[in-house]
Amino acid sequence: MSRIKATIQFLHAWQHPEQNAAEVEEELRFHIAKRTVDNIESGMTPNAAELAARESFGDFHRIKTECCDISRDLPFDFNLLRMGIYIAIAVLAGVTALWAVNMPHHNFAGVLWQLVTIAILARALVMGRRKKRTQDY
Amino acid sequence: MSKSKAGLLQGTLDMLILKALSLGALHGYGIGQRIAQISDDTLKIEEGSLYPGLYRLERRGWIESEWDVSDNNQRAKFYKLTRSGRKQLIIEEQNWERLAGATMKALRAS
Repeated sequence: MSRIKATIQFLHAWQHPEQNAAEVEEELRFHIAKRTVDNIESGMTPNAAELAARESFGDFHRIKTECCDISRDLPFDFNLLRMGIYIAIAVLAGVTALWAVNMPHHNFAGVLWQLVTIAILARALVMGRRKKRTQDY
Repeated sequence: MSKSKAGLLQGTLDMLILKALSLGALHGYGIGQRIAQISDDTLKIEEGSLYPGLYRLERRGWIESEWDVSDNNQRAKFYKLTRSGRKQLIIEEQNWERLAGATMKALRAS
């Protein structure tokens, strides 16, 4: 569930970058305001309290930018996504091959589909082998 | 007795955030306060550095956030631990204990 929520937030951050930045800023400003109040309660003057709060917080703009960038990061491992796409393509190719093999041989479309499927699978195999060879180097 | 403030090791902040949130939902400022409280004010956290850590943990699905009203009626973002975050905290604690044990053993070796 939290993954789904993270994905929704990621999409929201991409669709509405200004709103996302405003929310990050609001959150960071809340922190500084709370620290300022605590500093005043511990005996500082309001000005000194706010200054100390800003100093202890660090570089506001750098932190805000970093948070906004993280919000727009993919909420899952990209390699896993790529692996999922490869598996989906392999399953699709397998299903297509099965379908083509089971088609009646006596019509032209059936033969054509079989040839196209064989060509696609052969091409995928050649590309896969070429990629593996490049990685081996 | 005076206490020297210890800086945090890389990766420790994530574990401390998870630990602080295992005790209940908090906003960012509250998390910093709670870490200071549970470490008996020994661990020093750069306040701003807490937020990129929170955003990263949320991306991983270990914590989740929600806007709510704080005790002084201000809008604030509250974080809470997810189920996978709770599991991750156990893993992090085990790793930490193993590392600390090994380091201590190495230091005591004569």
